Amino acid sequence: MSADKPLLAIDRVAIVMNLVPYLVERGPVSVAEAARELDVAPDVLRRLAEGLVVIGLPDGMHNDLFDIDWDLLDERDELQLLNTVAFERAPRLTAREAAALLAGLQLAGSAPGVAAKGVVPGLIAKLSRGASAPPAELTVTANPGDEVRSAVMDALDRGLAVSFTHQKPDASPTTRTVDPVKILVKDDQWYLRGWCHLRRDMRTFHLDRISDVVVTDVAAGVHDDPEASVFGAADGPLEATIRFTPHVAPLLGQFLDHAVVTTEGTRSTAVLRVADPTQLKRLAARRGGEVEILAPDEARIAAVEWARAGLAQYG
Amino acid sequence: MPEKIAPEERLLSLTVALMAHRYGLTKEQILSSVSGYREARAEGRSSDALEKMFERDKDALRDLGVPIHTVGDHADPDDLREARYLIPKAEYLLPEDIAFTPAEVAVLNLAAAVWGESSMSADAAAALRKIRALGIDVDEPIIGFAPRISAREPAFAPLRQANDQARVVRFTYVKPGDDVLRARTLEPHALIEFEGRWHVHGLDRDLGETRTFLLSRIVGDVQVTREGFDPASRVGAGERARLGLESVSAQNIAELRVQDATEAAVRLRRRGTRDGDILRVRYVDVHVLADELASYGPEVRVEGPDELREQVVSRLRRTLAAHGVSA
Repeated sequence: MSADKPLLAIDRVAIVMNLVPYLVERGPVSVAEAARELDVAPDVLRRLAEGLVVIGLPDGMHNDLFDIDWDLLDERDELQLLNTVAFERAPRLTAREAAALLAGLQLAGSAPGVAAKGVVPGLIAKLSRGASAPPAELTVTANPGDEVRSAVMDALDRGLAVSFTHQKPDASPTTRTVDPVKILVKDDQWYLRGWCHLRRDMRTFHLDRISDVVVTDVAAGVHDDPEASVFGAADGPLEATIRFTPHVAPLLGQFLDHAVVTTEGTRSTAVLRVADPTQLKRLAARRGGEVEILAPDEARIAAVEWARAGLAQYG
Repeated sequence: MPEKIAPEERLLSLTVALMAHRYGLTKEQILSSVSGYREARAEGRSSDALEKMFERDKDALRDLGVPIHTVGDHADPDDLREARYLIPKAEYLLPEDIAFTPAEVAVLNLAAAVWGESSMSADAAAALRKIRALGIDVDEPIIGFAPRISAREPAFAPLRQANDQARVVRFTYVKPGDDVLRARTLEPHALIEFEGRWHVHGLDRDLGETRTFLLSRIVGDVQVTREGFDPASRVGAGERARLGLESVSAQNIAELRVQDATEAAVRLRRRGTRDGDILRVRYVDVHVLADELASYGPEVRVEGPDELREQVVSRLRRTLAAHGVSA
């Protein structure tokens, strides 16, 4: 739970329902550690633990209330329950919560090493059984792997550099050697993030653009990857302006992530930052008239020539 | 002056009380004895206000996954005056025999991270917190693999809510190249991500048949109606939708001629089969593939089927027209 969002009463209820079973299992434990594990700010957790001692059965006797070890809390900032009246085990997952994890698992299951551990089928059964109602129908299909993907995963798993041919649109292929750092999957598109020996920097490669992969026998170096957004590579130094009907906005995806968009009536205008504005010809043709390139001129001309050359094939 | 009771104290006391009494409590017993209600009543709060507070509290707790049952009068189930409210402990608690190994928790952490910043991440995080409350050690995090699903379509959140609550939705759908907007009334049985795109599968109420729609083609707001549908129709719907999409893709085969050493060659050859100069590529939706093929401009020529070729040609023509050039 992010610290900046104000907590509602029901959020605090949820925290207590997690705190009690956690302490039953783990107590005594420091406020700091419990806060970290339960994803709550320490002072919020401390106040909720203190508040527990008034919770109990209606018209309850003393031993029908929760009780905590006050000395331990005051002297060592540690939490220990002395009496519980409910919540001894974690609550079941809601149908939505179970569905969120199950769908995530359908992708996470393709992680290097995860499939090999064989834990996924067991987890699916446990999550389904641990839900208060049948999990919602939320399905994520991972596309089947190919030799490029397995080679890259193998290299990452064994800490070895990989070399491959990389083909960018409208550019000559290059041969790269890369120390793999991470495999990223977004919207069913697979990417390799790693330190490129040729560019002497971190780069992100779309696996579709990679061929002739060889797992080398050279140990990969260890590299920090400070960049917050690894897909920031899509942004570039040049400005371009496009106009579109607002309902295609969801179809423009990443193009609009860092764009300035203004909408007037039935038309929106976006100022994008791209590496090569003439490549917007591909976006314009893909959206078949719903996207118009306004600037720069060379990008507008490139789009017209692109569509014309495409049409010329059909006579 | 009576002391002020924090709302979370009232909610927790209510939960404890309804769990402790095997046969439950009547509303009158709750309002007169449970901490928070008792004090509010003593302050002179009207019984109407107290009953509304109780209704809101029940809804909030149910939303959290707390199973509150209402046991009514056998003779007259609609008469709730003597109804008893209870929370069966066994339905509330995660079953004792469900335990997770440190390796499993590490995989679940990765599964939750899949949702990134999308609206699903709150549910995934809440689920993880419940699992961590079991006090299990966790293996080292799985690094080097970061799968993400984005659910950026505005239709995603309302459709998921409607699917969860088994309620009928209404939305406007547009097919590309076909400027006619059509109003649809749908029972959303399942949401499915297939080939990187979100689809909703369910019963189209107007056609009386099951249909699958692309979320990215829904225009404007999805309206979640008050009308419900049979929740049982959701069971297995995700799998049926997947099989449906796969069988469509097995039947639709595009025949393409692709220029060597181009973007089209890189992207298409990976998923196609070659037959001499012809590359055969399977597809689900003629419009989605036509969008992609149009983006390759002169790098690919569609040999068939006719419908696909026409869709690509019309996209290229419209691109010219949008830039003030006639084809």
